[in-house]
Amino acid sequence: MSDRTYEILFIADPNLGEPEVDALAAQVQGHVEKDGGKLQKMEKWGKKRLAYSVRRHRDGYYVLLVAEGTGVMVKEVERRLKVTDGIIRYLTVRVDEELRKAERRKAKRALGEEKRKGRAGTQPARPAEVQQ
Amino acid sequence: MSSQGMGGDSRSFGRPSGRSGGGAGGRGGAGAGAGGKDAAGGKRYFFRRRKVCKFCADKIDYVDYKDVKLLSQFVPERGKILARRMFGTCAEHQRKLTVAVNRARHIALLPYAAD
Repeated sequence: MSDRTYEILFIADPNLGEPEVDALAAQVQGHVEKDGGKLQKMEKWGKKRLAYSVRRHRDGYYVLLVAEGTGVMVKEVERRLKVTDGIIRYLTVRVDEELRKAERRKAKRALGEEKRKGRAGTQPARPAEVQQ
Repeated sequence: MSSQGMGGDSRSFGRPSGRSGGGAGGRGGAGAGAGGKDAAGGKRYFFRRRKVCKFCADKIDYVDYKDVKLLSQFVPERGKILARRMFGTCAEHQRKLTVAVNRARHIALLPYAAD
């Protein structure tokens, strides 16, 4: 089974200090890696105002992780996120397919534009395409 | 990009209210001069700017739930997603927008309902 890319975004308790949030993030990273996942990116957004109160918190500390892995890994990571104190909300989204689709469409559009440009110009379009 | 975003924002609020005003006067007559003739049973003038899907125009292929600035243009104060007929998004992008907004709502980036 080929690996998939997931975005794991969680909100940590805003009352935690910076080192504790780091520890949480490292913990999640550990779960990811334990199940054969690979961390691609970790992004700390910092403390942000929540759009509505979650577990009586008005603010939250957002942390985004991008990881490669399998569905089994996600299941386990989600379970862990659920039981971890200090994490008030999490969201995992599979992104590889959508991003690939977007990429393909972008390439297609670029190709179309290339063609149009070729047709508009005085030079014949064919040779220009071959060179590409 | 950001200034453009702001422009879209103000439009998103302006358009629905403008149209509902038109509905109260002469049914659907968006042109200012058309209202009177409407009542007389004459020709009805439809003057409506053609709306183009913002996502298509800006060539946004992937509607990201993390992009609050973009999404909030489609979610006015009340917290509801702006209808397609208001903003002119195409079906495909409206669908993607809905998914993105719902994700953003779950993670408390956007409100479910404003109080």
